Amino acid sequence: MQITINRNGENHGPYPLEQVREMLANGSMQPNDLAHYEGAADWVPLHQVPGVTGDVSPPVLESTAPTPTATQESFTPTGEHEHEFRVECKPDFAYLTVQIPANQTLKVEASAMATMSTNMVMKTKMKGGLSRFLGGENLFINEFTAQGGPGEIGIAPGSPGDLEHYHLDGTKEILLQSSAYVGSSMGVEVDSKWQGFKGFFSGEGLFLLRCTGRGDLWFNTYGAIIEIPVDGNYVVDTGHVVAFTGGLQYGVESVGGLKSLFLSGEGLVCRFSGQGKVWIQTRHPTAFAQWTFPFRPTKNN
Amino acid sequence: MQIEITHQPGNSAARVSLQAGETITAEGGAMIAMSGHIQVETTTHKRDKGSIMGALKRLVTGESLFLNHFTSNGGDGEVIFGTALTGDMMQFQMGSGPALMVQAGSYVASAPSVDMDMSWQGFGKALFSGESMFWIKLTGTGPVIINSFGAIYPIQVNGEYIVDTGHIVAFEESLNFEITKAGKSWMSSFLGGEGMVCKFIGQGTVWCQSHNAGSFGSALGPTLKPH
Repeated sequence: MQITINRNGENHGPYPLEQVREMLANGSMQPNDLAHYEGAADWVPLHQVPGVTGDVSPPVLESTAPTPTATQESFTPTGEHEHEFRVECKPDFAYLTVQIPANQTLKVEASAMATMSTNMVMKTKMKGGLSRFLGGENLFINEFTAQGGPGEIGIAPGSPGDLEHYHLDGTKEILLQSSAYVGSSMGVEVDSKWQGFKGFFSGEGLFLLRCTGRGDLWFNTYGAIIEIPVDGNYVVDTGHVVAFTGGLQYGVESVGGLKSLFLSGEGLVCRFSGQGKVWIQTRHPTAFAQWTFPFRPTKNN
Repeated sequence: MQIEITHQPGNSAARVSLQAGETITAEGGAMIAMSGHIQVETTTHKRDKGSIMGALKRLVTGESLFLNHFTSNGGDGEVIFGTALTGDMMQFQMGSGPALMVQAGSYVASAPSVDMDMSWQGFGKALFSGESMFWIKLTGTGPVIINSFGAIYPIQVNGEYIVDTGHIVAFEESLNFEITKAGKSWMSSFLGGEGMVCKFIGQGTVWCQSHNAGSFGSALGPTLKPH
């Protein structure tokens, strides 16, 4: 059987069946190219020609799903970590998936679990009690255990934004704005009763969790995350503080002078000094909420 | 002064590196972080020209009333700016070209060598448009940072072009504009939900935003707690 191929209005061939199959296999012809063979009434897609598709996969339909954009990055750990994990759809919609070995447990922020293997068993733990409650945070951290075999859990933080992993080695300490907590390994102590940060309870509702111990810690942001190495002195709007390393000194103050305090629109800032790292977020939920205020309906009375 | 726009387009931030002694002026509330030695001064309207009128004008435009001036005294430093809404930012170099008219809510920051003026042009026309059609007129030389709700895209106008008022971020003053109706009759314009639109005439660039913040706010409104 001799087959003629028509591509972009141009005829090629005719070729014997054997050669057409080879050309399909090496990609120089496509299953959807128009073909005409002896005895056929009309042109048909090549894959419909008898004998052609013996070992050629059926035509792949053009996918209508959008291809991931360049900004959708995924991250798998290369540095120190306890659990295998990946973060997908960075930086705007970061989503965390953690692999849990058999009979091991992971702490996850309440309501953040999105997907999980069927052998994952959840236990709700009240963490931090009243002080966490006062912090305006969820009262609970849930514990997910992979029973009888390895499991997987997908974790979606409440705010759209980025997600960061930090490995605690037993000597380090991370202070975390409470709403930024996503999850941690069992070896990480999450202390919300710790009140060493009096100045921070400052109207912005910035309540801090003190994370110590050994293992993985994940935290998220609203908006993008910027990691700032502090060497000396750095100022961050309190609403944009996500986390910082424990060695830093900190204090809350207003920007500029007295006039700036009331008129600058900047509210309070946190001044960090010493050496360490601060993670900040490029958006601020409260600022967004305030932006919506003028759109609120008025009461009819 | 070096400006780097990071994390585009959704969660953009502007990172401004200042050399010793340099200053950048920004909309009140835009600063999210900065070097510890940066000094902040708050003024109405423009530094050294602060006046009650300037402040009042800013109040009328719906923008925050005050500007902050960040100066890197005693060494190099940096200031990072962010916005309340999701969206992109753009850096614009003012030079010998025409003045830049920026919709009040889109202004983020500018170098002190850029002069700001609340323009009253089109006030009467804008009053009827139902949207805050107020402009900050920027002249002079130096960088300007502008933000958008959603993505930002330029349109080269040569002749006439129509843009919905809620989608305009900025335009070159070489363009004239008139507020007009979207449909053939006023009735169809309003029933069609398009209301009034801005017709640009002449030659120049208009920067548009993919989303209309007012529409988003109106969509959220009914779900919010009444006050």
